[in-house]
Amino acid sequence: MDALDQLVAQVQALSGSEQDVAHLSSLLKQADELLRTHALRLPFSLSSLHPTKHSLGYLYLLEAQSSGTLTREQSDSFLALASSFLTVCAPEQIRLAPDKFNSVCRRLRDQAMHLHEPMRAILPLQCAIRKLQPSSEYLTAIHADYLQMCLLSKCYKASLSILEDDIFEIDQKKTSLVPRDFLLYCYYGGMIYIGLKKFSKALEFFQHAITAPTTALNAITIAAFGKYVLVSLIQNGQVPPFPKYTPAVVLRNLKSCVQDYLDLANLYASRNIAEVKRCITQHEEVFKNDNNLGLAKQVIASLYKRNIQRLTQTYLTLSLQDIANTVQLDDEKDAELHILQMIKDGDIFAAINQKDGMVSFQEDPEQYNTCDMTQRLNNEIHHIVCLAKKLTWVDEQVSCDHAYLSKIGRDRPRYDEDFDLVPQKIYTNI
Amino acid sequence: MAIPVNGSAAGSSSPGLGAIRTAIRSLQFSQLADLLDNLELEIAASGASKPEDWPYAVHVLSHVVNHDLNSARFVWKRTAQTIKESSPELVAAWKIVQNMWTHDHAGVYKALKGFDWSEQVQPVATAISNDYSSCMLRLLSTAYSTVSVADASGFLGLSENETVTFLTQQHGWVLDPASQMLTVRPMSSVVNKKADSSQLQDLTEYVFHLEH
Amino acid sequence: MDGSENHGRGPTGATPEQIDVESYASLYSGHTKIARLHFIADHSNSRNLELEALRMALDEIRKGENTVLFKECVEKINGRLGPGYGLDQEWIDTVERRAAQRQEKLEMELNGYRTNLIKESIRMGYNDLGDFHYARGDLQQAFKCYVRTRDYCTTSKHIIAMCLNVILVSIELGHFVHVSNYVSKADQTPDVQDPVVLAKLKCAAGLAHLESKKYKLAARKFVDTNFELGSNYSDVIAPQDVATYGGLCALASFDRAELKSKVIDNINFRNFLELVPEVRELIHDFYASRYASCLGYLQKLKPNLLLDIHLYDHVETLYEQIRHKALIQYTNPFISVDLNTMASAFKTSVTGLEKELAALITENQIQARIDSHNKILYARHADQRNTTFQRVLQTGSDFQRETRAMLLRANLMRQDFVMKGNRKQP
Repeated sequence: MDALDQLVAQVQALSGSEQDVAHLSSLLKQADELLRTHALRLPFSLSSLHPTKHSLGYLYLLEAQSSGTLTREQSDSFLALASSFLTVCAPEQIRLAPDKFNSVCRRLRDQAMHLHEPMRAILPLQCAIRKLQPSSEYLTAIHADYLQMCLLSKCYKASLSILEDDIFEIDQKKTSLVPRDFLLYCYYGGMIYIGLKKFSKALEFFQHAITAPTTALNAITIAAFGKYVLVSLIQNGQVPPFPKYTPAVVLRNLKSCVQDYLDLANLYASRNIAEVKRCITQHEEVFKNDNNLGLAKQVIASLYKRNIQRLTQTYLTLSLQDIANTVQLDDEKDAELHILQMIKDGDIFAAINQKDGMVSFQEDPEQYNTCDMTQRLNNEIHHIVCLAKKLTWVDEQVSCDHAYLSKIGRDRPRYDEDFDLVPQKIYTNI
Repeated sequence: MAIPVNGSAAGSSSPGLGAIRTAIRSLQFSQLADLLDNLELEIAASGASKPEDWPYAVHVLSHVVNHDLNSARFVWKRTAQTIKESSPELVAAWKIVQNMWTHDHAGVYKALKGFDWSEQVQPVATAISNDYSSCMLRLLSTAYSTVSVADASGFLGLSENETVTFLTQQHGWVLDPASQMLTVRPMSSVVNKKADSSQLQDLTEYVFHLEH
Repeated sequence: MDGSENHGRGPTGATPEQIDVESYASLYSGHTKIARLHFIADHSNSRNLELEALRMALDEIRKGENTVLFKECVEKINGRLGPGYGLDQEWIDTVERRAAQRQEKLEMELNGYRTNLIKESIRMGYNDLGDFHYARGDLQQAFKCYVRTRDYCTTSKHIIAMCLNVILVSIELGHFVHVSNYVSKADQTPDVQDPVVLAKLKCAAGLAHLESKKYKLAARKFVDTNFELGSNYSDVIAPQDVATYGGLCALASFDRAELKSKVIDNINFRNFLELVPEVRELIHDFYASRYASCLGYLQKLKPNLLLDIHLYDHVETLYEQIRHKALIQYTNPFISVDLNTMASAFKTSVTGLEKELAALITENQIQARIDSHNKILYARHADQRNTTFQRVLQTGSDFQRETRAMLLRANLMRQDFVMKGNRKQP
């Protein structure tokens, strides 16, 4: 029995109790060299292990087997093995080796991309995320890869099962992820929400990417900001100022990298369609290179909408001709189509009178007295209550945190009477 | 036709497709899109390619019937070029999406009526057609106070005579024969305003939260 | 002078009165008289008016010692006023010779005082030298000399004199920051009770605020100016100007209550207004909602105001603000307003009025909406209940979004999750 057979035997023997698995984990950590040298024999060894019962050992062997370049057949069989392993593996075992687990997932992604079959990786990676996560609030290194596969295979909706979970927990020890994984998660997440036209969620994701702590400006942040500007214009008609916790290096250097976008934002504020169109044509090359031309076109459409919406605040009735003139649409028919579409989408409330060529604008008929509205309010309150509870919990955690307490003690002069630590401070001042 | 529509004709038929046929037959369209999307992912994860009898047109239309044009668009986008070229029914389904996307109401009806749908697609197409015309009627009655007969017939996919008869007799609209304009009678909508006791329970919890 | 000539600036319907340069100039003395005449000459559309102003300016210049200004003025006249208004080289030489001697004498005296360190004499010396440069038109030098007297002031009186001198030169230089600074220096000086001095300081402060477009602050200064000012500050401002500047700034920036208490019921300011009946009338018209009459007076005054050295730059803005105030005030008490009636009250077309109202509604200055079909303006009363619901939903979702971002961020910080540089990203 050589060293590899011995190791396989140990895996089979030590996959039972928690203690055994912990012991096995330390053995496997020293087995890298051994596994590399016997790479060719690993498929045979793997076949004698059970992916669920012997998950930890299986993981190490699978990871070792997948390193190096693979032929088309090897790649195919790796994808099959890895896919079923990720689906059935035992979470408590693989969590002992998050780095190996991430590595297998990344290999899976690489191979799927290599074969131009990104869709193939979606379900396995989705399972993998759930296996590694202690709870759905944890971010893993797999998130970004998963979202990337959804984007590439145009399965936007499928990504929601992961993307809709609110992420709060970042834990390098448990999930072995690096800052770049977080940035990419935010960036791809934002892109998916753009595809789904859920712009406010997209903004949330891009904002995370822009304000993420960093010591240097990087390409992901710059790309995220370009999209952030365009989506802000579409959704809100303006670009909000940076949150005060935005890293200084981003504040200092970002603007010069995205001047074209800021130019557009400034012109948008003038509400002049012709100017905005000219600006987009002028910077077309940049937008195209950044894959943002489609969004830029939506910016124009949003300005038409916004200008019409402003009219509803000012007029009770207005002729289609006047509307067309004011918002720079071609003719009455064009104005009618825009109005009609906005009525359909619930952006405005109005009635078109074709006989007189007039539009009469109405107030929002919502009276906030229906069961549906009560239900919506209830849901919102429920969410807020949950969030508030979480906040209180985190607050208590922070108040007991050694690092925090010692920092407070150092930075703040102690007042005998005022022993209130004001734990909220940490959120506002970081 | 390139795609066999009859389940018995295809030996390589995927087991999941049975559930889809059942859903169509029982007119359960709300889950149809999710079923197909999931099945698509499962097939991909297994490393296999889609079976020959994969219902491409139904997949596109399953999103349309749930008012999710965006997802229908992505289904089209992720379909291989060779499939698009060999399936006239898929192309016809896509035509519906395109016309809806550009708000070409008359075009939507034309696309719906202009293709001889297979047995499998027909129920979905019929559902879309019915749903679309009732949506358009609702839109007409909220967005217009007066509208020309010509435009209204475009919205409803009916001839001008049918339109006048339908709107004046069934919905009480009034025709001005001189201008060929219809005066709209808004639909009255019924909304539920009653609260039930479970909401009282919620309220109690909120107050509790606020006080603690 | 041809009094019937029209400027061409006035609108149809209102025949603006040709400015009477002679009586206008008689209100002023010193540099401002010349400067104002020059300003009229430069900005007038009428050749007669221009020449009249230049003639009077040159007459005035000849009384002083500013040979540079003399040459400039002669150049502008360009022989159009006959031989009596040509380049009098003999006069120039005489004045310059005398000035050179005087400068030498003053500087020598000052040097003497400085070696002997007699504080009061040094102050006087600088003051005299300042007066000399001021008279010669060398404002920079004059400014320096006056500022230097500051170190040698021993009484409040000295300080006030110094401040007034600096203010005088600074107004002419157009340095209104200095004006404000020295006004506040003078205000801080104890025991200043002379009502004329106080009035002068109010005027100077008012001018400084006017220049920086702070019309409300300017109005407050002018309406508080004591009438004892009289013609004592004629080298800067006439009491008629106090009425006009103050009145217009007040109309443009005061609300109704302020207009009543600080302008109409202000017995002191009423004295000023009596000097310019048109301004008095238009203020009363405005307050009594007689907009057509008010706007009529404004149109009539406009050509002359555009010839005013301090006001011309602000006329359009002030007029616009006054018009907006009038429009807002007009619509305020009504539930609905017929746009035809309103347009005639404001002497404009319905289309024009619609545009003006639309702009004011957009800026949320008028709470109403326009029925463009029937040409009626309807007041709009926001539904408190619905607005509250909307705000609640908005606040709720903002709170959730921000709290989520905060919680995530707290964890990023706790894990010291910082993106490091020096690594190329895709």
